[in-house]
Amino acid sequence: MSPVKKTNQQTSGARTLGAIDIGSNSIRMVIAQAMPDGKIEILERLQRGVRLGQDTFRAGRIKGTTMRAAVLILRDFMNVLKLYNADVVKVVATSAVREAGNSDAFLDRILMATGLDVDIISSSDESRLTVAAVRQEVGRKQLAKQSSVIVEVGGGNTEINVLRKGQIAASRNLAIGSIRMQELLSTSTKSADQASDMIRQQVAGVVSSMRGLLNLKQVRVFYAVGGDARWAAERVGRKTKIANLRSVSKRDLDKLVGKSRHYTADKLSRMYGLPFSEAETLIPALLVYQVLLKSTGAREIIVSNVSMRDGLVLDLAQQAAGSVEESAYEDIIRSATSIAEKYGVDLKHAIHTRQTSVRLFDELLAEHSLDKRYRLLLEVAALLHEIGTFVSGRAYHKHSFYLVTNSEISGLTQDELQLVAHVARYHRRSRPKPAHIEYMALPRERRMTVNKLAALLRVADALDASRTQHVRNINCRISDEYLQIITPTTADVSLEERMLAMQGDLFEDIYGLRIRLERE
Amino acid sequence: MGRQKDLKSPKLLINREASWLEFNDRVLQEGLRDDLPLAERLKFLSIVSSNLDEYFMIRVAGLIQQRMDDSRTLDPSGMTAKAQLDLISNRTHKMVAEQTAGIKDVFGQLAQKGFHVLSRADWNDEQAGFLRQHFNNEILPVLTPVAIEGLSPAPVLPGLQLFVAFSVSTGRARTKIIAVPVPGLLQRFVNIPTEGDTFVTPVEEVIAANAQTLFGDSRIVSAAYFRITRDADVSIQEDEAADLLSTIARAVRERRRRSAVRLEISASAEPRMKRWLTRFLQLGSQDVYEIDGLPGASAVMQLVDLLPSEELKSPDWPAQEARDLSGSEDLWATIQEKDVLLFHPYESFDPVMKLAEEASNDPNVLAIKQTLYRTSGKSPLVQSLANAARNGKEVTVLVELKARFDESRNVNWALELEDAGCHVIYGIARLKTHAKAMLIIRREQGKIKRYVHLSTGNYNDRTAKLYSDIGLMTCNPDITADVAAFFNLLTGQSETVGWHKLTIAPTNLRQKFLDLIDREIQASTPGDRGLIMAKLNALQDPVICRALYRASQAGVRVKLNIRGICVLRPGIKKVSDNIEVRSILDRYLEHSRIYYFRNGGHEEIYLSSADWMRRNLDRRLEILFPVVDGRAKSRVMNMLETFFDDNMQSWRLLPDGKYKRIEARGKKVRAQEKFYQETVKASSSARHIKTRFRPLSRPEK
Repeated sequence: MSPVKKTNQQTSGARTLGAIDIGSNSIRMVIAQAMPDGKIEILERLQRGVRLGQDTFRAGRIKGTTMRAAVLILRDFMNVLKLYNADVVKVVATSAVREAGNSDAFLDRILMATGLDVDIISSSDESRLTVAAVRQEVGRKQLAKQSSVIVEVGGGNTEINVLRKGQIAASRNLAIGSIRMQELLSTSTKSADQASDMIRQQVAGVVSSMRGLLNLKQVRVFYAVGGDARWAAERVGRKTKIANLRSVSKRDLDKLVGKSRHYTADKLSRMYGLPFSEAETLIPALLVYQVLLKSTGAREIIVSNVSMRDGLVLDLAQQAAGSVEESAYEDIIRSATSIAEKYGVDLKHAIHTRQTSVRLFDELLAEHSLDKRYRLLLEVAALLHEIGTFVSGRAYHKHSFYLVTNSEISGLTQDELQLVAHVARYHRRSRPKPAHIEYMALPRERRMTVNKLAALLRVADALDASRTQHVRNINCRISDEYLQIITPTTADVSLEERMLAMQGDLFEDIYGLRIRLERE
Repeated sequence: MGRQKDLKSPKLLINREASWLEFNDRVLQEGLRDDLPLAERLKFLSIVSSNLDEYFMIRVAGLIQQRMDDSRTLDPSGMTAKAQLDLISNRTHKMVAEQTAGIKDVFGQLAQKGFHVLSRADWNDEQAGFLRQHFNNEILPVLTPVAIEGLSPAPVLPGLQLFVAFSVSTGRARTKIIAVPVPGLLQRFVNIPTEGDTFVTPVEEVIAANAQTLFGDSRIVSAAYFRITRDADVSIQEDEAADLLSTIARAVRERRRRSAVRLEISASAEPRMKRWLTRFLQLGSQDVYEIDGLPGASAVMQLVDLLPSEELKSPDWPAQEARDLSGSEDLWATIQEKDVLLFHPYESFDPVMKLAEEASNDPNVLAIKQTLYRTSGKSPLVQSLANAARNGKEVTVLVELKARFDESRNVNWALELEDAGCHVIYGIARLKTHAKAMLIIRREQGKIKRYVHLSTGNYNDRTAKLYSDIGLMTCNPDITADVAAFFNLLTGQSETVGWHKLTIAPTNLRQKFLDLIDREIQASTPGDRGLIMAKLNALQDPVICRALYRASQAGVRVKLNIRGICVLRPGIKKVSDNIEVRSILDRYLEHSRIYYFRNGGHEEIYLSSADWMRRNLDRRLEILFPVVDGRAKSRVMNMLETFFDDNMQSWRLLPDGKYKRIEARGKKVRAQEKFYQETVKASSSARHIKTRFRPLSRPEK
């Protein structure tokens, strides 16, 4: 073997990513590598059945045996990841864990046994990730052509995302899922026909109650993701112009469902080599697709091979590359802005504070050395720092804290939202103290980040103390001792100066710089 | 649907045993051919016996069991176990007689060429003297006579062991039968040193002639040779087996004492001895085969190496450098560049070994995954895998312990691999892992690259010189991802997640074949007929047969090249008139499985580890993979056509289940020879290209 050829070309190397999704029917993993040129190559897909959903949706909590099974699967997955020396691993959990009464215990168990830190993601996050994955697969332009819907029937929930011009116009998460349906079937003694009628009626009922919100009739293209849809595409699908996408016509779907619903799960599993857990929920899931398709203006289902996990991989790849996809970034800002609006904050101030804090973030990059993702989090915190005033003007920063914590901003993880809430909380008054329980509950490193960002937000907020947005287009000069903030304004900035003196203390401590506001 | 029902008639299927016997008869017919070199004939005549040995241990043993358990069950062709056993006994008796005559004929011709296989009666005094000496010095010390008559419990006589049986009289007492096992470590033929011609004689004759010293005062009344075949159809109850390794070791030990299914005995043995042995082994008269020659005739293979003259042998066809690797200095780079197709044994198997060896020492390699089925323990591959683990790589090896007759061998080196640090999996419960796959994960300049080798043949460097197989090395991301998923499935790390290019048995391979056949039916029109071509080792699955009948009825042309068993009846009006079945038998064992579907012009070619047998589709882990690379595809296409062009070594299956040799009309084509010549040509022209002129400068003083 000749030694590996040395080339002059500089390769920064690819990054290997692992994305694990703890779902209601199974745990799945995607291993991918993100190339330096931004391309993503899927290396492996793994899946193991474990019925978390059945526990949660039936008993409200995850059983001990199921937990053990899940931990074993995650351990096995870690062994596969080890082969690739994965750089980043992200684990998320969806409805079955989200809705379980003992989800904390479950996550602790996983952390202890595997070292994996699981993020419970919201259904809006699921939607965002799925849409991002489909967008990548279908192509941005193609997706923007016609109004479309992206549907995933999961074990616990059905995600419906209506897209106009390629952007999410409405998302709904219906509590109808194949496991819930299958639960329904297994407790009834009805025939296959009656059972499927029951499911149809239930789904149709939920859909018609949503009709006004979703406006499904205008939808022309119906995208389906998920294993059940893929199975249908394998049986009766046709190729489409886009590789990896197959279409299943309404007629073929009807025929397939009509034929297959009389088979027992056992038979389906044997005939098609499906894991039993999948075979069991296959027909309920297809029935849901069937009813949903009928409520739209589409004539066929376009089945995509991607899933929420691919969206997760995209996220990881972008985070690894330090860039947030443009539209995802905009989605987050838009979502934060609309929350700020909802709580009636002074939007001009909020936006100005956002701009100023970003400016400070960039100027002080060398000092805080936080990556781009935190810049975005700071922006969100700036937009939301005053939402607590909606509750009361007194100690409103504390209200901001819990309102942010309980908001849903698709695109941010639960952890990130926590961080944003802390930054917003510390934008005024008390600095972080050991007496603050939530703050102390953060890992040490996180606390440092909160400090760094809150310090910037305090300064930015002070710089608009008069709420006139006079201090704009600032320039910064950093010397050994001082941060000089230079503004071209001729207006009176005495209020801002006073506020800086009050709120600049945290900044001084963290960055070791005193602040001087100067006019040009 | 009435038509479909007709297709289920047992009359439409040839009995599997009859078809196997036909196959072995074709092997025999090669051994009887006058126009073949004598060494080749000996090989075929030997294989007839080794085939029969395995056949009796497994199939016949199974049928005997079935005859006892449930005599009424009918096989798919409508026969009871008893009827099948009768058929087997009849055919085999005839076959053995023909084979014995064939061996005598070859011996006769060899004698004319100066190579004499002598029987005891042929020895002259000088020879007898030498052999007595030889017996005393070399043989006697390792002989252990066993009294078998009148002992309780009776001693166990192991299967496939050659015995010399003596009827011995001690004075007035009646005679006793004493068996002397011929030690396996002795060469079966003893060379008698002489000037000029070569003289050899079977070792059992030497023992029989000189055995008196073993018995002291007792007198040898008569001597004969015999050999027992025992049931070896051990099925391991894996669910109950807490420790598969020790269970298999025990099963192998127990195989020694399983019931006998066949007795081969010298035709000249005295009737009392025959009767006694038959009863002792609880056999019926139809299970006894009287041999007027060498029992355990597979040993004539050993003569091939003793033949002095090259003219008695076929010209050697040495393995050539693979066409796709000519000029390749960096195996990794070559595979990155293009798919590498390997056609063994015409092309050397070394690159496969080399790939594993390089991977084991390459610091960039992170992991190796490998299935092993019928691999020799000394195989460099096993050594490479152990090495790789010692070098800190993640090595996963699936060792199929259940590969028949290899069990005990497998246990040993599996443990060796485990000691080296490999993650060893001892097969999958209820399924044999028959798929042949190697996956290498390598980090190149920060990027993960994966390399895969898939094959129709085993990772066995020895059989790779005798079996005709096709392998493929590729980096195709769909295939590498699928193979990774396959290993995750094997190791239990994942369930199936949907395949890009591979199809897996028992998951959905059967369905895939049925879908492919169906698609051919759909696409076929009178003006543009569908075409299915397949080359495989056996077609025994009734469901596939019926699908092919439907295809034939729909006008699809079906061309099958099946080395062994074929239960499909070709050429039946309105059922299979569009189906042609051929069989090639030549010096290399045809082992590759190629499946071709015309698909309305968008041709698809697949290679597989699986035959169209029930066991392949339902009880084994198998892989079917497409040949996608354009060059590789057309090469396999050419091979497939050449197999069907063959008119020197091919047979045609007739509707009645018999085979008829295909007579060459026009240009003679011998597929294997053509492959060899093509390979040599490709290889030598490649060598030619590689030649570089190196101008020499004036030598320095």
